[in-house]
Amino acid sequence: MQKQRSLIALILVLVVAAIVVLIQLPLALGLDLKGGAQLTIQVQPAEGSARITPENLNDVKRVLENRVNGLGVAEPIVQTAGNDKILVQLPGVSDPQQAERVLGGTAKLEFRPQKPGTEAEFDVRRQELALAKAKLQVLLEDKKQQPDEAALAEAKAQLQKTNETILNLFEPVDLTGKNLANAGFGTTSGGDSWQVSVEFDPDGGQKFADLTKSIAGTGRTIGIFLDDELISSPIVSAEYAAQGIAGGRASISGNFTSETARDLAVQLRGGALPFPVAVVENRTVGATLGRDSINRSIIAGLAGLVLVFVFMGVYYRLPGLIANIALAIYALLTLAAYSLIGVTMTLPGIAGFILSIGMAVDANVLIFERTREELRDGQKLYRAVESGFYRAFSSILDSNVTTLIACAALGYFGSGLVRGFAVTLFIGVLISMFTALTCSRTLLLLVVLGFPGVRQKPELFCPNLPASVRS
Amino acid sequence: MRLNVIKLQRLWWTVSIVATIAGFAAMAISYTRFNAPLRPGLDFIGGTRLQLALDCSVAGQCDKPIEVARVRDVLAQQGLEGSTIQVIDGNTLSVRTKELKPEQRNELQNALSKEIGRFDPKTVQIDTVGPTVGRELFSAGLLALVISFVGIAVYLSFRFKLDYAILAIVALFHDVMITAGFFAFLGLTPFAVEADSLFLVALLTITGFSVNDTVVIYDRVRELIAERGGKDSIQNIVDDAVNQTLTRSINTSLTTTLPLIAIFFFGGETLKYFALALIIGFISGAYSSIFIASTTLAWWRSRKGETLAVATPQDTRPANSIDKI
Repeated sequence: MQKQRSLIALILVLVVAAIVVLIQLPLALGLDLKGGAQLTIQVQPAEGSARITPENLNDVKRVLENRVNGLGVAEPIVQTAGNDKILVQLPGVSDPQQAERVLGGTAKLEFRPQKPGTEAEFDVRRQELALAKAKLQVLLEDKKQQPDEAALAEAKAQLQKTNETILNLFEPVDLTGKNLANAGFGTTSGGDSWQVSVEFDPDGGQKFADLTKSIAGTGRTIGIFLDDELISSPIVSAEYAAQGIAGGRASISGNFTSETARDLAVQLRGGALPFPVAVVENRTVGATLGRDSINRSIIAGLAGLVLVFVFMGVYYRLPGLIANIALAIYALLTLAAYSLIGVTMTLPGIAGFILSIGMAVDANVLIFERTREELRDGQKLYRAVESGFYRAFSSILDSNVTTLIACAALGYFGSGLVRGFAVTLFIGVLISMFTALTCSRTLLLLVVLGFPGVRQKPELFCPNLPASVRS
Repeated sequence: MRLNVIKLQRLWWTVSIVATIAGFAAMAISYTRFNAPLRPGLDFIGGTRLQLALDCSVAGQCDKPIEVARVRDVLAQQGLEGSTIQVIDGNTLSVRTKELKPEQRNELQNALSKEIGRFDPKTVQIDTVGPTVGRELFSAGLLALVISFVGIAVYLSFRFKLDYAILAIVALFHDVMITAGFFAFLGLTPFAVEADSLFLVALLTITGFSVNDTVVIYDRVRELIAERGGKDSIQNIVDDAVNQTLTRSINTSLTTTLPLIAIFFFGGETLKYFALALIIGFISGAYSSIFIASTTLAWWRSRKGETLAVATPQDTRPANSIDKI
C-alpha cells in the first residue's frame, strides 16, 4: 500500500509536470501542418574537386543562411541533411518561386573594365544583345499560343553567344562579388526606377578606385556582369580620372523592378556560393490546406479514441475505466515528451501518436485478459490482478521490442516525414509500457486494496464469472 | 467459441496462398504497366505535383466543376502531355507532371489561372522531387524494411528459438505481401492509388505490429509447452494457445483499427491511404498470427518430431516464476 501511495505521488508529479511543459513549450508544428515551403538543396562538387567535404557543406550552409535571412521569413530553418544536401524550411511561404530563385541562384557578380579599342564593336554587340533579348521575349509570349521549340532554342543560343562575345570585350580584373561588404536596394535618385547599391570591402574599394581611374573620361565603360551576363555598362566621367571613384561604394542600375533589385541585393549580400547547387526537392503546403488537414485528422483521431475508450469501459468494466485514465495520462506524458525532445509534429507524426495509443491499449488488454483467466481459475481478486500483470509482462515486452526495432530501422534510415513518424511511435511505445505497467497497475491495486467493497465483487472485473469460483 | 485452427489448417493456408498469388498477379500487371510492382508515387520516381484550389470568393467561380479537358489543353500548350490531371471536390485541381523547374512551374501556374480562374494562394500545394531523391528515398526505405526484418529475427531467435523467429518472419512477409498486393491492385483501379513514402512507412509499421500479434501467441505456446511437458501434442498446445489469446487478438485489432478507420473516412486527404494500408496490414497481421504463424509452427515441430523440446534457457524468465506461487 505504501509502495502504491508513492507511485501515485510520482504519477501525479509527472502529470503536473507534463501539463506545465505543454503550457510553457507548445508543440512545434511541421510545415505540412502550418503551411510553408521546404526545399532540399543539393550541393554539386565543382569541377576539379571530387566530392563535397563536411566543411564545404557547412560553407554553403552559411551562405544559404545569409540568403534566407535576407528573404525576411519568420523562423526559417537551415540544416544539413546527409552528405551533400541542405534542408531549408520557410514557414508561411506559399509561393516558393522567389525562395528557389534566391537560394538556388549562383549570382556571380563581376566588374570588368572595357578593353581599349572595342568601343565600336561594343556598340554593335550591345544592339545585338537588345535584339536577341527582344526576340526571345516575343517567342516566349508566342509560346502560349503555338510553341516553337526550335526557334526558342535558337534564340536562346543566340543570346548566349552574344553574351559571351560581350564578356570578352572586357578585361577581367578580379573584382567580384567576394569583394563586397554589403549590398542594398532602393530607388534611383529620380525615384522612377530601382537600383542595387553595393559597398566594397577595403581591398575591393581599392580595386574599384583603380578600375574607375583607368577608364574615366575615355568613353569606355565598366561592364557589370551577373552570371556572365551584362546587366549594366555605365561610363565613368572625366572628373574621376585623377583618383577614381573612392569610398568603396557604387550603385548598379539595370532594368530592375523592386523585386529583382531586392533578389539581387539578397544574393550579393549572402555572398556567392562556393559550389553549384540545385533545388532537388520542393514541398510547399498552403497555410489553409495544412490547417484543414490537421483539423480533420485530429477530429478523426479523437473520434476513434472515444470509441476505444467506450469499448474499454464497456468490455472490461472497472479495469477498463482505470485503463482509460492510464491512457489519458499516457497521452499527456507522450505529448509532453514530444515537446521536451523537440519533436516537430507532422501529419504522419500525428498518425504515429494515434497508433501508439492503440499499442498502449494492447498492453492493458493483455493484462486484463490474463486477470480474467486467473479469476476463472478461481484465484482471489488481488492475486489475479497481480499475476495478470506478471504473466502478461513477457508478451508486452517482446511485442513492444519488435515494434521498437522496426521504429529504430525506420528512424535511422528514413528521412523527413518518415523519421518524424518513427520518432513519435518510438517514444509512444516506450511511454505506453511505462503507463501500462505502472499507472494501470498502481491505480488498479489501489482500488482493489483500498476499497474492501471492490474485493467482494470480482464481477466488476469479469462479468459472467462461473458461480463455482466466486468467493 | 472455440477455433480449431489445426484441423482446417489447409484451408487457412490455401486462403493465404491464393491472396498472396493474387497480390503477385496485381504486381506483375503493374510491372508491365508502370515498370514497378506498385503504381509509383512522386516520392519514388520524381516529378512535380501542383495542387490548386479555386478562389471561391470570386463570384460564380466555384459554381461548376473544373473541366479536365480545358486543363489538358493548357498542359498540352506547355508541352506537358501525358501528365495526370485530377479534380478533387469540383474546385481543387491536382496536376502531376514531369519534374518542372521553378520558372516552368510558374508559367504553368499562370497559364492555368488564366484559363481556369483565380486560385487561392493559401491552398497551393507544390511537391517537386528530383529523380535521384526519389531513388534514395526508395532504397533507404527498402533498407529499413530489410534491417527491421533481420533485427526482429535476431531478437526473436534470442527470446524464443530460431524456428519461431523464421516462422514469425514468414507470417510477417505474408502481411507485407498482402498489403503490397492490395495496393498494387488499387493502383490498377480507377482510384489510381500510388505508393509513396508514407506507404513505405505503413509497411514498416505493419511489420512491427504483425510480429506483435505473433509474439503474443508464441509466448503462450511456449508457456503451455513448459506447463504440460511431454504430456500433450504440439497440435493441441497450439490450438489452446490460439484460443486462450483469441479474445485479446480480436480486441486489440479492434482498438488499433478503430482510430484508423476514423482517419480513413474522416481524416485529411494525405493520411487516407496511409490509414487504409495500416488497416489492411493489421487485419492481415491478425489473420496470419492466428491461422498461419501458429499452424506452421505446429506443422514444423511435429514434422521434425521434436514436439516439446523447449528447455531454452531464456524460457525460464523471472517474470514467470510468480506463476508458481
